[in-house]
Amino acid sequence: MEVKHLTEHYDKDGYATIKGYQKLGGYENLKKALKMKPLDIINEVKASGLRGRGGAGFPTGVKWGFLPNNGEPRYLLCNADEGEPGTYKDRLMMERAPHQLIEGMIISAFAIGSPKSYIYIRGEYFYPKSIVEKALREAYDNGLLGKNILGSGFNHDMDIYSGAGAYICGEETGMISSLEGKKGQPKLKPPFPAIQGYLGKPTIVNNVETLAAVTLVIRDGAAAFRKQGTEKSPGTKLFSLSGNVVKPGNYEVPLGYKLIDLINIEGGGLKPGRKLKAVIPGGSSAKILNKEESEKATLDYECLAQMDTMLGSGAVIVIDDTNCMVDLLGVLMHFYHHESCGQCTPCREGTGWLEKLVNGIKSGQGKLQDIDLIETVARNMCGRTICALSDAAAFPAMSFVLKFRDEFEFFVREGRSKIKGTSYAKMHH
Amino acid sequence: MFEKVAQKLKEPLMPKCTINGKEIEVKDGTTIMEAFYQKEVPIAHYCYHPGLSIAGVCRLCMVEIEGMPRTQIACNTKITEGMKISNVSDKAKDSVKWALDFHLINHPLDCPICDQAGECGLQEQYMHFGKYEPEMGQGKVKKRKVVDLGERVVLDTERCILCSRCVRFTDEVSKTNELGIFNRGDRSEVGTFQDKPLNNNYSVNTVDICPVGALTAKDFRFKQRVWLLKNRESICTGCSTGCNVNVYFNKGGVYRLKPKYNSDVNGHWMCDKGRDTYKHLNVEARLTKGKKTEEGKTTECDAGELAKQTAQLIEKIKKEGGGDSIGLIVTAQYSNEEYAAMFELFKIKLGSNNVFYWINNQKTFEAFDGLLYRGDKNPNTKGLLRALSKCKFDQTWDKLEEKIKAKQLKIVVVLGPENQEVYPDISEKLKLLNSVDNVVWLTTNQVLGTELLKSCWQIPVKSTIEKSGTYINFKGLEQKIKPVTNIVSGALTLTEAAALFAGDEIPFDSKTPVKGERVWNEFFHHRGDL
Amino acid sequence: MFKLSNKGTEFVKNELSRYESRRSAILPCLTLAQEENGGYINAEIISYLAHLMDIPESQIQEVFMFYTMYNKKPVGKFHVQVCCNISCAMNGGRELVQHLTKEFRVNDGEVTSDGNFSFSRVECLGACGGAPMMQVNEEYHENLTPEKAVHVLKNMAKGNSHGS
Repeated sequence: MEVKHLTEHYDKDGYATIKGYQKLGGYENLKKALKMKPLDIINEVKASGLRGRGGAGFPTGVKWGFLPNNGEPRYLLCNADEGEPGTYKDRLMMERAPHQLIEGMIISAFAIGSPKSYIYIRGEYFYPKSIVEKALREAYDNGLLGKNILGSGFNHDMDIYSGAGAYICGEETGMISSLEGKKGQPKLKPPFPAIQGYLGKPTIVNNVETLAAVTLVIRDGAAAFRKQGTEKSPGTKLFSLSGNVVKPGNYEVPLGYKLIDLINIEGGGLKPGRKLKAVIPGGSSAKILNKEESEKATLDYECLAQMDTMLGSGAVIVIDDTNCMVDLLGVLMHFYHHESCGQCTPCREGTGWLEKLVNGIKSGQGKLQDIDLIETVARNMCGRTICALSDAAAFPAMSFVLKFRDEFEFFVREGRSKIKGTSYAKMHH
Repeated sequence: MFEKVAQKLKEPLMPKCTINGKEIEVKDGTTIMEAFYQKEVPIAHYCYHPGLSIAGVCRLCMVEIEGMPRTQIACNTKITEGMKISNVSDKAKDSVKWALDFHLINHPLDCPICDQAGECGLQEQYMHFGKYEPEMGQGKVKKRKVVDLGERVVLDTERCILCSRCVRFTDEVSKTNELGIFNRGDRSEVGTFQDKPLNNNYSVNTVDICPVGALTAKDFRFKQRVWLLKNRESICTGCSTGCNVNVYFNKGGVYRLKPKYNSDVNGHWMCDKGRDTYKHLNVEARLTKGKKTEEGKTTECDAGELAKQTAQLIEKIKKEGGGDSIGLIVTAQYSNEEYAAMFELFKIKLGSNNVFYWINNQKTFEAFDGLLYRGDKNPNTKGLLRALSKCKFDQTWDKLEEKIKAKQLKIVVVLGPENQEVYPDISEKLKLLNSVDNVVWLTTNQVLGTELLKSCWQIPVKSTIEKSGTYINFKGLEQKIKPVTNIVSGALTLTEAAALFAGDEIPFDSKTPVKGERVWNEFFHHRGDL
Repeated sequence: MFKLSNKGTEFVKNELSRYESRRSAILPCLTLAQEENGGYINAEIISYLAHLMDIPESQIQEVFMFYTMYNKKPVGKFHVQVCCNISCAMNGGRELVQHLTKEFRVNDGEVTSDGNFSFSRVECLGACGGAPMMQVNEEYHENLTPEKAVHVLKNMAKGNSHGS
């Protein structure tokens, strides 16, 4: 069963306009927040246990707490880059409820003492950008942005900035680099963005859904927020369901929901005659789960971490038995090879090497030792780079080879895919 | 008691840490890489350079830190109290080996035709950490080779390991922003916009800092293998900054100059113009024997012999006309010791006050490009001025012109510029000297136009890299240099010439020349046991 | 000789002071220049912008070459980008683009002879629920079949603005 806390009014007409939003309780949470003390808001968010909804799942209140206490101006950046394959929830939120995001951002900015925020939206999202731009103008026209918001004395400016096509700009410091007008190359950490981020100033980067969820924490309070979800993963989350399900889409369920229920109930199950083979639970960078694991998994941070994968962005990609795993891995390896920013050597060279290895097998020219080599190269790309793209490329490589080794070995031995009827069984990408 | 605490709080923090088992103390805020450099412990690295910002992209400087599950990069990790660091543990070595492996998978095997061989970062680390069979059987990424980047630099983008040192250099040091890394992933390529040339005055520094043969100097390209070169220190004589340099040479002569780090003078860099100053010092360009030109006829003899003849001539003229009929023209291109010897000869022995200072570019003296290159193109102006004022010699070329016109001088000795290029007025000055009966020119290279003088004796002198001496730079800093090598062994230093002019013998230097050291570079320095 | 329109020049001026750093204006100004130049950017435009914005050419070039939405060569009036990443691949994205290039008789990355269409394979566009899909200029078209896609594109070429 979906639990529509965030998405309660998404299908109502006009919710994307300020009038429609306000009619249904919009900006009441902002009024409430502006009467609170900023530190109390931070503590409330900490107490709620809200975790970053973009992929890393870092506790939001704790992240805000890293900011220095020195009155220095700091920036709030909303990460609307949404590049993780399988993920399209932020797009829905921006198209249907831009004011919810804006309200969440103003509350967060007030809490952390930020006079300026940016929404960094991926370049391809032309339509969502137009919706958000309209909403920003409405907010300014209605005194919700700019000077002396709602008479509170709090000044805040918000602007929107488009990316230009680079997955790496979804990484928080890659995004900061892009916003600074440079290539979207991640920065060394330390120093962390909360200390030195955008233009060297303290910066908080949060996902669209996280910032929108702040409105819920203020509206209901931390205790009520925790009523949904699990103890370590409280609240609800939007999951982007895609792949081989009958009803792909974005569904809001409490964290801890059974993965198989999301697929069969919300997702309408698999197409007739097909069987479940594997599920990628958290966007392509999460390690893949085989059928047995998928049937046991629950959608929360701990369970999936225990199963050596991750909740990630919440993009659930369902794979049925008509797919060739070697082929799919090739698609993913091409993606990471294409998107590596090229700064640090293990990722730059490793992503290329991985794609070449998988393509070699896909072309029927692979050797048995190539399969082990994929695992070795991927393992040695992990944990040794500036950002996690290297790990994100390595995780699918390692998990596909581990859990579907039979398909790889078949391809090497027979020179074709184990899965009959796959048109891409013998193609270079 | 409180005084003790207060005092302790005022003292700067000096955290103690252990590097490969040895305990060391460092200033607070020092990174692990800086500590390794300070204590001269070898550590593999490419993108770190002490003169540039930290990039942290090569991922080669991995160290194991006790208590941390993953290896960390040394260049961006600050040392905290009690940190136990190792770059020789198995875990660290494995990280480095794989980082090196990733560097090599697309690197072209150009060693046989690559200038960098022998001082190449990849070769160094491969010998230390690798020597394994390559596992990458797929085709390598192909990129552009032999890209002409202007007068001095050639780029090979395939060899480039994308350490970004050169890009950071043009951003932060020369501030000319020509270089960038274009494209993404393993298609990334270093270069300039539309292959625009790198024609700033510091372009060859990018060649120095490039760990591999991606950026090479046109001047050195294919000329010599670096393991056949020795190197010793000296200073650049191109201008009054006096950058410290390493001179690379062998029996064939000098092949290149590279900057040597000196925090007080030139930091890590030198300018391109300074790198050309070795060209006029090689034997092909030099005056190797004394040349006597009289009435259009030229004869040759040994330098020493000619100096002795000069001594006789000077004595004769002194007897006839007194000390003041002997003139000395001096340029600011020689050492303090040489000036002392020459001035003592003139003032005391010969009793002459006619010492004239030949200034070549008064107008641009104060010019400064903001980094290293100065308008005063002489290495020892301050030294000369000090020596002149000590002897109260204050005449310049105008006075010389007067005295020549008045036929006061019967012989003029010229301490000609070692670097003739920066004295564009030589031919003009020669016209004036034509009215003097005897001209004795001490010079490293043949001076064109002297064959048209009534009488000109050219005595070959030793260049800066063939002698020891003290030079004072624009700031007043005294820098002592030692001989690098012999190019023209028969040439004289000015001190020796002064002795011979006075009628004395030169003391014989019985010390055998010191053997030069092997090629030095940061990678060699950090080579470790090899 | 490339030159921005008056409106374009005004836009550049505003962008340079809109953000905290002048350099941030590079991305939006490249997008604008691409629009005014009919869909792609060449070296002349980079030089022009460098001069107009007083920013080194290498910095603008780095941005231009890094991001995929800046076209390095001419594109069709309708630039069609078909996602071939995992969810779309599982739902026929690659077959879709193959069908389209065959139907319109053009290779990947090239422009049809009438100048109308160019096709390219791209990574995830955030429309995984509507796989397979394509982005035509600024619009998303989801839940396609090869026939439906051809129909949409042919309508666009005829001049029906939304092509359905």
